[in-house]
Amino acid sequence: MAVDMELEAVLRPPEAPQAPYPPKVITLANGKRLVVREARREEVPTLLEAVHPTLFIHKDYYDIVGARLYAELLGWYTHRTQNEFCLVGQIEGLLVGMVNSRMYNAKTGMSLHTLAIDRGLRVGAHLFAAKMEHHIEYLGQDEVLIVAESPIGFRRWMIEYGLEPTDIPHELGGAPSYRLTRELYFKSKPRLVVGDRPVPQELLDEALREIVVADEDAIREKIAGLKGR
Amino acid sequence: MRDVAIIGAGMIPFGRRDQDTLVDMLAYASLKALDDAGVSAVDAVYVANMGGGILQRQTAIASALVDRVGLLPAAADLVENGPASGGSAVKNGVLAVASGYYDLVLVAGGEKMREVTGWKATDFVATLTHPETEYPYGITLPGMAGMFTRLYMEKYGVTREMLVEIAIKNQQMGALNPYAHVEMLITKEGILDSPHSVVNNPPMADPLHLYDACPVSDGAAAVILCPLDRVKELTHNVPVIVAGFGQATDTHTLAERDDPTDLKAVTLAAQQAFERAQTKPAEINVAELHDAFTILEIAESEHVGFFKKGEGGKAVLAGKTKLGGQLPINVSGGLKARGHPVGATGVAQVVELTWQLRHELPKERQVKNARAGFSINFGGFGNNVVAFVLKRGEK
Amino acid sequence: MKEITAYKCKKCGRIHYPKHERCLNCQHREFELVHPEGKAKLLTYTQIFNLPWGFDERFLYIGVVEFENGVKAMGQIAAPDGADVHTGMLLAAEWRPVRYVSGEPVYGLKFVL
Repeated sequence: MAVDMELEAVLRPPEAPQAPYPPKVITLANGKRLVVREARREEVPTLLEAVHPTLFIHKDYYDIVGARLYAELLGWYTHRTQNEFCLVGQIEGLLVGMVNSRMYNAKTGMSLHTLAIDRGLRVGAHLFAAKMEHHIEYLGQDEVLIVAESPIGFRRWMIEYGLEPTDIPHELGGAPSYRLTRELYFKSKPRLVVGDRPVPQELLDEALREIVVADEDAIREKIAGLKGR
Repeated sequence: MRDVAIIGAGMIPFGRRDQDTLVDMLAYASLKALDDAGVSAVDAVYVANMGGGILQRQTAIASALVDRVGLLPAAADLVENGPASGGSAVKNGVLAVASGYYDLVLVAGGEKMREVTGWKATDFVATLTHPETEYPYGITLPGMAGMFTRLYMEKYGVTREMLVEIAIKNQQMGALNPYAHVEMLITKEGILDSPHSVVNNPPMADPLHLYDACPVSDGAAAVILCPLDRVKELTHNVPVIVAGFGQATDTHTLAERDDPTDLKAVTLAAQQAFERAQTKPAEINVAELHDAFTILEIAESEHVGFFKKGEGGKAVLAGKTKLGGQLPINVSGGLKARGHPVGATGVAQVVELTWQLRHELPKERQVKNARAGFSINFGGFGNNVVAFVLKRGEK
Repeated sequence: MKEITAYKCKKCGRIHYPKHERCLNCQHREFELVHPEGKAKLLTYTQIFNLPWGFDERFLYIGVVEFENGVKAMGQIAAPDGADVHTGMLLAAEWRPVRYVSGEPVYGLKFVL
């Protein structure tokens, strides 16, 4: 179906200029190299393939996170959300997790979701940290508003970063937001934010060439299977 | 007292078993052990479980199990002895057969811990600490181990590198064990050397880090015991003889120990087991030690007499405790990689040793020609410890 | 510190905390009641990051101390992240809330630098 650009012009929100996220590489516990980079809009259909199986995993709140992330990514792909970005984590090209977020305005970031597909390697912790790094250091924002939709998220983000409670309703349903300020970010950075730049060209090329997505059964097994940590 | 043999062993893979109830798991492991032995009924059942009452709000688990697996009207008891429940249940089963009162006994241990979030599981295990002088402060078992580790490092020169080496070794072995919860390999670079390890392997209870601890797991294991003189008529398996066991206790609180680095109950339990078995530590070919924290593998290997105090960590670095080394320790992956469903652990150690002594494991994790095995099941923070010496019998 | 009562064996002098019905050393049954006195020497400690249900802090320092009169006890150490906490240091002991259950404080030993 052809896109009616006249109509789109009405529907699409205006985009503010947004600095790119410089890719980085992290050595994981198993010695593998995790490349963290910004996903391109045209890669969204591939990302959706990876999110799809999580819609039906109730364990550890994957379904609610997955369903919302799916909709948000689709919104970004079809130009329905404003200033959204998505960072992906890849090991040898394979997608192991992703985070998305939005610039609410020039000063404030609105953190959306974190999805770890490979578990037990702290991929979620690394990717969430990268998202905060992008908001504060590269987009130059003063604060990020965050809510947790799962107990793991609450424990990890609110407590580990020592976030401030606020009464600002978050975009994700209106719950009061927790706030990461620049000051809190830089205080926690040595413990929580790691990675090397630039990414060696070979590794970066491999990551950019293709986002490899495991099949649905493999993703379900990684997230909710017997060996899951 | 009669000699007692293990004639059947069974285990289900440890991990996250969301689909199974506690009694499901105990039943599956029990059936495997019964089938392995080739027996259909037993006189008595001892069930090891620590948390059914707290985590599942289910009590009288032993009655539920005999009913579930069709073992009525066998005698059935639950043994709750903290993380040493498994060892205690096996010990009670051995005593029952040794005394001559029962001939066939099933011992099953199980725990379902992934039913709750990690910090509720942590709180559950912390209920074994002293309710007035320890628990209210927020102390956890990793916290107890952290305080112990600080002193043990200072006194005996244990280094983080030694602890990391144990984590790597046991996860390597776990990756080869289909019953192990953790199948992931880790590297020294990823958890110690790389600056990125601050996130990969953060402090958990300083000086212990994330990868020093066992995971939180669901699982169950079971064994069948009988008098040694009835083995031939009851089973085709090579019998494994319970040559000796020992059990000892220590102060409930850590603060009341004269020397907190001295795990007296470990030493005493091991001494009793070796004496009863008329065996020396040097005669052991394979050991399952209670490495709920990496430091414990070193400390226990020293307290039971495998290595002198201060030498256990060096032995690890020298590869002496690897498969193929002088004394392979935790070839199963240990609690660190197999997982630590608390009530199951002591039984799982005995199951692993039974398989090792029957020489039926795949080559990549069989200790060649193993004749004698040893286990330590460490309850509380060392306040209730059970040790076994097992030997390969004649078919 | 009157909030804590320890038990000194009237026969062998061993100090117990908490209470035991018989001396752990000589099995004697009579004790003199004593309270912790003086500074608390830190015997060992840890900084716990994975706290159990009921705590919302990122970490807690917990240690075992010995008071000048020989009473040994566990308690929390009030210290910020990265503080200079080390074994052998002398701490002051206070009786303060150590956790909250249903909003109500539970009191216990808090050691201050």
